[in-house]
Amino acid sequence: MKEFEERSTRVYRQKQMFSKQELEQRESVCIRDEPAFCAAACPLKLDARAFVKSMKEGDFTSARAQLERIAPFPFILSRGCEAPCEKACRLAEIGDGVNIGALERACLALGAAKSGRGMLKIKKRKTVAIFGADLFSLALAGELSNKAYPVTFFCEHENAAAVIRACAPFLTEEEAAAEAQRLDQLDLTIEYQTGLSPEFFEARKEGFDILCASRAFFQKLAPEDEPDNVTLVLPKVRLIAPLADSKGVLRALFDAKRAAVSVDRLAQNMDPAAARGAEGPIKSRLYTNMEGVKPSSRVFEGEGYGAEEAKQEAGRCIECSCEECAKGCAYLRHYKKFPRQLTREIYNNVSIIMGDHMMNKPINSCALCGQCSVTCPFGYDLADVCHIARQNMVATGKMPLAPHEFALHDMLFSNGEAFLSRLQPGYARCQYVFFPGCQAGAVAPETVKRAYFDLFQRLSGGVALMLGCCGAIADWAGRYELFGETGDALREELDKLGSPQVIAGCPTCQKTLQGILGQEVLGVWDVLQDIGLPESAKHHRRAAAMHDSCGARGNEKAQKAVRAIAEKLGLELIETAYAGDRSPCCGYGGLVAYANREVANELAKSCVERTEAPFVTYCMACRDRFMRQGREASHLLELVYGPPAGDPPDISEKRRNRLWLKNSLLKEVWGEDAMEKDWGFALEITEEARAQMDDRMILDSDVYEVMQAYRETGDAVLDTETGLLITRRRIGNVTFWVKFEEKDENFVVRGAYSHRMQVK
Amino acid sequence: MEQNKTYYTVDPLGKLVCHKCRVPLVKGSATFSYLDNAFPVELPVCPKCGFIYVPEDLALGKVLSVERALEDK
Repeated sequence: MKEFEERSTRVYRQKQMFSKQELEQRESVCIRDEPAFCAAACPLKLDARAFVKSMKEGDFTSARAQLERIAPFPFILSRGCEAPCEKACRLAEIGDGVNIGALERACLALGAAKSGRGMLKIKKRKTVAIFGADLFSLALAGELSNKAYPVTFFCEHENAAAVIRACAPFLTEEEAAAEAQRLDQLDLTIEYQTGLSPEFFEARKEGFDILCASRAFFQKLAPEDEPDNVTLVLPKVRLIAPLADSKGVLRALFDAKRAAVSVDRLAQNMDPAAARGAEGPIKSRLYTNMEGVKPSSRVFEGEGYGAEEAKQEAGRCIECSCEECAKGCAYLRHYKKFPRQLTREIYNNVSIIMGDHMMNKPINSCALCGQCSVTCPFGYDLADVCHIARQNMVATGKMPLAPHEFALHDMLFSNGEAFLSRLQPGYARCQYVFFPGCQAGAVAPETVKRAYFDLFQRLSGGVALMLGCCGAIADWAGRYELFGETGDALREELDKLGSPQVIAGCPTCQKTLQGILGQEVLGVWDVLQDIGLPESAKHHRRAAAMHDSCGARGNEKAQKAVRAIAEKLGLELIETAYAGDRSPCCGYGGLVAYANREVANELAKSCVERTEAPFVTYCMACRDRFMRQGREASHLLELVYGPPAGDPPDISEKRRNRLWLKNSLLKEVWGEDAMEKDWGFALEITEEARAQMDDRMILDSDVYEVMQAYRETGDAVLDTETGLLITRRRIGNVTFWVKFEEKDENFVVRGAYSHRMQVK
Repeated sequence: MEQNKTYYTVDPLGKLVCHKCRVPLVKGSATFSYLDNAFPVELPVCPKCGFIYVPEDLALGKVLSVERALEDK
């Protein structure tokens, strides 16, 4: 048998998976980091989702701090803001949006004010003068004071209270008093009762680096001009002022923020239009699944929310975020990472030349089933990333053999010792060839046999048979060369049969062979739907849930055909969540069951947890894995060609079943007697040892080989405590140890273990 | 003695016997190698025929974890 070569950790090859640009393009498909709709709608960039969450948790002080961070005068904001966030709230589509404005007012009443002055800020050197008081200039004074500019604010009013009253007449008396106090406490110079006139401006402007004005005063100074509509700078006089269309509280506060950015740019002698980033409200690409979200009404605000009312209103927030991929995929839930992050980490992992490759296991733990590409509203395909990464690791000699070697040998066994390709007797070429797939033969050989007999009796033009593996295992393992060779070999064998129409018994074989042959491959379900069920098919009067194979993702024809057949069989089908194209993987796909048993079990568990009902599958691997989870499951062909195959076989039985299928068909159909290998001695494997071997992926044939070596060399250790003999043999890349007792010429096997490390 | 780099404690003399040579295994030096890395270890060895024994606990414990660590290098 072909041996696989172990990698060396001393080979330092490296190859990029794809360009950095492609990486960014792939990552950009995920919209998880997009802002919530409420946050995106806010020109001041209040993260309303986080704010509401703090309110929901009753952390009013933290909520208040978040508000104070974006608004120098939070009472003005909370009372005057037109709240576009509430209109953008997804709840507004079905009922009332969250009353974010009321929550803002509540946090100011319920949360403690910021204590202390915060971090020591070093005063900037450029000085700013603000002429005239309106909401814009007041807010700008606050913004610039926070940015530590030495600001002088010239207003006509007599004191802070009068300024606040004039700028924000909508405040209650207490609120106005609070904001007036805040203005007094700001680190800026205010000159009250100044007679603002163009002459005054000319006289005072010289002492300042940057000049700003209220709208009214700006009109006095430059009645013919308008400032730039992004930077709010009038270049002619380097004056910053709001625009003519600047109406409303939120707009004034937003303009003050924009103006403060322009001040920053001017202070650095930069073009004020440079490097401003995205300002104002943006459109969020976030996806929120509204399924199951019920409309609800706002909690009445009245005189303002108390703590409980505020928590209750905030509690209505559904915290918009997209987790569609992880909801369906146990692998993503296991690693607690989303595809975007995994993509970046996998990309970086592949680029490591020396050192630990921490992502090898996650790369090999994805089922490559492609469910994410369907559940993601934008089609993020993490399976593709993991598949490319595996091929890359194989290409650069970084793919360890350990996770996949057993499966690869299993494939070589299917396409070697257990392979069979024969024309139907009496035909020089056949119209069809039945390709049941390796797992069907391994799990339910009798069923395969009955299906083949039925097909060649009822289809005209001859039905050839090909027992083997489609190559999916090599493909999943990232062994692209072996996959190519397997495809070539299968094509050659099919040519010998006269290039018949392939009828696959497994959706993954169907898909893989279609790729290899570049032509349509039928599923056995397509044929059965066409020619009807055999007369012998029994009626099954019971309810069952259909589990769609990951190989049939995107194959609507197969999904429909299997349901039609199940119904003809009398089954009452139950549709589960994640049916059809959204189906999760049973844990066999992508060789997860070999690379990461824990994740494979979580995948299978998450599949069976969808319903209490027994399952019908149309992939033998799903059937096998569901039964191992203790759930009743039948392959559709078992129901058509009953009786069912019974309990799931262990790894050695799976091989024996494939050989039995081949040999019994050779005998019954083609009249050939196959020679069974005679070792010249017999093994009695205890039940305990058998379970251990299945768990440790040790085959009966491995044990036979070890014992044969013992018979030749006599090498063994006697453990005087247990009385057992222990011997070993290196087979390929693995050393197998067997614990046994001698019984005449034969052996009683009491245990087995293995390691890949070599000892000398 | 504690500084000896052993992966496990060798069983007391006499517990393990070489079946072919009929002599007890003794503590001997051996080398583990995997993926082009090699480390010296002490293992039970037959003083006559040189048979090196890797006990089950060691194979499924330390050896496996070192294998895994090297596979990710």
